[in-house]
Amino acid sequence: MTAVGARDGVDADGWRAATRAAAGVLVEMGAAAAGYPDACVRVVERDGPYIVLTKGLALVHARPEDGGLAVGVAATRLAAPVEFGHPDNDPVDLLLAFCTPDADAHVASLSALARALSAGLADRLRGAAGDAEMAAELGRALPEEARPDA
Amino acid sequence: MDRTLEVLAVCGVGMGSSLMLKMTAEDALRALNVDARVENTDLSTARGMTADVIIGQGMHTDEIADAAPVVITVSDFLDKEGLQAALRERLAEKGWLA
Repeated sequence: MTAVGARDGVDADGWRAATRAAAGVLVEMGAAAAGYPDACVRVVERDGPYIVLTKGLALVHARPEDGGLAVGVAATRLAAPVEFGHPDNDPVDLLLAFCTPDADAHVASLSALARALSAGLADRLRGAAGDAEMAAELGRALPEEARPDA
Repeated sequence: MDRTLEVLAVCGVGMGSSLMLKMTAEDALRALNVDARVENTDLSTARGMTADVIIGQGMHTDEIADAAPVVITVSDFLDKEGLQAALRERLAEKGWLA
């Protein structure tokens, strides 16, 4: 089972605040420990803004040992886009945060998410009206056995 | 190529973004009818591995430009068509496309 959450209209004054807010949804759901958002910021500080996977979309994550308690996925839409410093994909208005308790538990959920993103999930999230619709879109993208209501 | 092509998708953490890239690469290689095994890993692990092709973002591939015969830089991890075009060109240069 995958914990799913969403937050719409988040105010963030820069990529660090946006990243912390996105990972913070995982903490609120109980899927990640309190230190996880800061670990996600450190990933970008250390390795660069590669988590901006495609135009306008960042995949916020850190390692399981940085505070992953369960498999969790959360979508966050910003009130105003922020710059990550990515050469091609800035600015970012949509963040998907994920966490996992070990290096294998997330593969099915994340693979399904990749397929769904290729099939237009990001635009459906951008078009959703509010938290509940965003969470529902995200839930539909996950494999059946990973859905929160399964 | 008369054996399975070994491909590495790399990112910083080695399990999130690179897994997304692995899915995209598998689709692109399938579309090119290339027999390939794609693994995803972090940059430092990739340095110690052997592969025919390494794929990643420029901020990473710049650091491992000599780690494989073919290193492909992509900026959009979900762009199958773009990756497919890059693979077609680079694999053909090596004579690895049937």
